[in-house]
Amino acid sequence: MNESLDQRLRDEGFAYRTEVRDRLVILVPRETADLARDQRLHLTRIALGEGFTHVAVELDPEGAALPRD
Amino acid sequence: MASPETDRSATEKEAELGAWLRQRGSVLIGYSGGVDSTYLAVVAREALGRDAVLAVLGRSASVPAEQARSAEAIAHANDIPLRLVDTGEVQDPRYAANPVNRCYFCKSVLWEVLVPLARESGIATVVDGTNADDVGEYRPGAKAARENGVDSPLADVGLTKAEIRVLSRERGLPTWSQPSAPCLASRIPYGSEVTTERLAQIDRAEAALRELGITGDLRVRHHDDVARIELEPALIDYWLEPANARQLVDSVRSAGYRRVTVDLRGFRSGSLNVLEGVVAG
Repeated sequence: MNESLDQRLRDEGFAYRTEVRDRLVILVPRETADLARDQRLHLTRIALGEGFTHVAVELDPEGAALPRD
Repeated sequence: MASPETDRSATEKEAELGAWLRQRGSVLIGYSGGVDSTYLAVVAREALGRDAVLAVLGRSASVPAEQARSAEAIAHANDIPLRLVDTGEVQDPRYAANPVNRCYFCKSVLWEVLVPLARESGIATVVDGTNADDVGEYRPGAKAARENGVDSPLADVGLTKAEIRVLSRERGLPTWSQPSAPCLASRIPYGSEVTTERLAQIDRAEAALRELGITGDLRVRHHDDVARIELEPALIDYWLEPANARQLVDSVRSAGYRRVTVDLRGFRSGSLNVLEGVVAG
């Protein structure tokens, strides 16, 4: 996770947790992602502002919750 | 169409390309069935005749299965002599380790097969489909071409990708609007091992997404258990709608990925070069 980005997302009202892989951040929604275009663009700007080059959203948060192995 | 720096039209450059080829007499073409090498093969076939041209398609796990099938069909439809060779670059540990100059090892393997093949076939010159736009980009594979004496006539006469697309359309080639199709290893971050299994998994995932009707540029970037789908930006919002996203998840999971993500910025050529800091984002 990225604390700064997590805080920023909470402040902006986005219910996502973050998973960082190098300069890629994966945004994992609490429920299934349903992003309108302006929300997508805004989320992207926030993440880029935190220094990430790649921003992806998890489509099925249940998949992210499964054990890795 | 005029090129601003030279005022030469694409048609004039094509004429220069024909002259360039006739001067060499015969060519072996490193052929992929993509926009550039297909155009080059067709012009060479026209300029030199069937007996003086040999297109060679390298087969390996890093080439999408559909791309290989399409390349064969295009060569057949245009009466271009075609040879298939197994390149097996995945077995080269220097390539499999996936360093930032991975393409150098891949192309070295390719040209070390094709240059002797040209010699055995009595062909004077080996060429590739590098175009004028490619020159100056981060392309370690180009070094391997230079080391093996491979020429790049499209770049030499100044033909850009856009011009090649226009000329291809005028010739009725199906490749004119084809998206760029780099090898499947380009979906794996540098430093992560390139394996036959991973390449096959990526190929299955992208093929499954194509079956959903996704057109244009599309990549499944491989991050271990996570697939990161890069779509053309205009398509992102449609595929993020929950019902459509469900289809993406099911398709990509059928290829063996547990987690499915969509990149919010969409397709970017050389995206992993940016992620790894090889080039600026």
